[in-house]
Amino acid sequence: MHIPDGLLSTPVWLSLDAACVPAIGYAARRARRELEETRVPLLGVMGAFVFAAQMINFPVGAGTSAHLVGGALLAIALGPAAGVVVMTAILSIQAFVFQDGGVLALGANLLNMAFAGVLAGYLPYRLWGRRRLAFFAGGAFSVLVSASLALSELLLSGVPMPRPVLAITLGLFAVNAAIEGAITAAVLEGIHGLDAGLVRCPEGTVRRTLVGVALVSVLLAAVGVLVASTHPDAIERLAARFGGPTRRLFAGPLADYQARFFASPWLQKTAAGLAGLALIGGVCLLIGRLIARQRSA
Amino acid sequence: MHHVVIENWSRGASLLHARDARVKVILLLAFLVALATTPRLTPAASACYAALAIAGILLGGLPLGSLLLRAAIVLPFTATFAVFSLIAGDAPRAAGLLVKSYLSAAAVLVLVGTTPLAKLLRGLESLGAPRLLTLVVQFLYRYLFVISEQAQHMRLAALCRGSGPRPLRFRAAAGAIAVLFARSHQRAEGIHQAMLARGFSGRTELLSSTRIGLRDLLFLGAGLSLVLALRTSLGVLWNL
Repeated sequence: MHIPDGLLSTPVWLSLDAACVPAIGYAARRARRELEETRVPLLGVMGAFVFAAQMINFPVGAGTSAHLVGGALLAIALGPAAGVVVMTAILSIQAFVFQDGGVLALGANLLNMAFAGVLAGYLPYRLWGRRRLAFFAGGAFSVLVSASLALSELLLSGVPMPRPVLAITLGLFAVNAAIEGAITAAVLEGIHGLDAGLVRCPEGTVRRTLVGVALVSVLLAAVGVLVASTHPDAIERLAARFGGPTRRLFAGPLADYQARFFASPWLQKTAAGLAGLALIGGVCLLIGRLIARQRSA
Repeated sequence: MHHVVIENWSRGASLLHARDARVKVILLLAFLVALATTPRLTPAASACYAALAIAGILLGGLPLGSLLLRAAIVLPFTATFAVFSLIAGDAPRAAGLLVKSYLSAAAVLVLVGTTPLAKLLRGLESLGAPRLLTLVVQFLYRYLFVISEQAQHMRLAALCRGSGPRPLRFRAAAGAIAVLFARSHQRAEGIHQAMLARGFSGRTELLSSTRIGLRDLLFLGAGLSLVLALRTSLGVLWNL
């Protein structure tokens, strides 16, 4: 899931790098406000902990083993903003020191795993509280959202992928998501058993519907972009089925696009995908802000 | 371990080691952007970029073979997608993907192999990275060695208790990670106390100066013009 340099097309990595700067900056500001700056060592040591925890293998049957990814675990144990900061630090070290993920592609990897992944891992906990189901769903959603985003970015970049391979990949995503969910739940229950004070409680009153809507929108956005990038003509088909006003609504601006700015179909596809990704970014920021407001209230 | 090797490389002395971190970061970005924006990598263009990367390795006095081998770590991921391109009948694109990702990784290795992480982070900070982030990265890197060793000790202890060479059972592995988490948490508290006792003000200090000198500027100018000249000549000569 760590995208190296050279695979993403220029519009994709450039716009994701641009989008990642305010997103990570916002998370860093929030983290500094939530934890006093003197707790910086905790964030660093937790990053090192995730690295070390990834060395411990879990048996998952048939002689294969898996390891923790950690986005949801960090989000739940330290809070979402601190989780984003720690994941950002981990991914930066991986990109620079371990050549795991590219430097130009860092923005894409950060948005997939440090931002969307951590947020998707945190929302179920926020929604359902300290339950095994919430831990499991957090781990699973986190991996599912990051992987779908990474795959759709690659597809948007014009990397060809045969249909059967795509189907197998999606199946693997689901399996990986279930494994991460199970590991996250088991580890968090273990931590809770050792010392209940180590897992941060969601603060303030929980407005369930709002967080639920946020969770659904993050999931839909990730899966939706994936579907959109595999079936670029879906919107047109939709327009054809509903006809009338819908057709004019969709066909009008699209026709303009084709005529003026985006002559090549590749550029069109990229522009549509980027608009989708920008939308997700906006939704994520909005959710973050709403959660922040709830907390302070 | 990989990061120990890189750490050793970064403590060497060479023309590249002596340059300011900011200069090297800007040159790396210029190289990566030039490489990424070349739409079709012909063998000639690939050779030019490879020559630049190798020049960097030699200027930094880094072991050529070892570095080129370590950069190959990106190849399995890229090769998967290169195979799909090949199946789709686009052989030049497949080759381009492999060359781009491989040379990018090699160039990043030149940067981290000639710049100690503390200097690199200070450079990134003065280029605009948030200070909280660079501090966290620095702590992460520092305690990466410590916590990994603790994890190894725990694995050894589990082996001694007779868990066998196969991976730990699921619950046992989860328990080990939970214990590691609690210990890391405790360690962070201790570190924080010790730092406060020594008067930590929210910023780590470097012993050497971080001024950009005349030599750094000359090096930056030479490097940038080389990359720019290569990119534009590729564009003009071969319409790339």
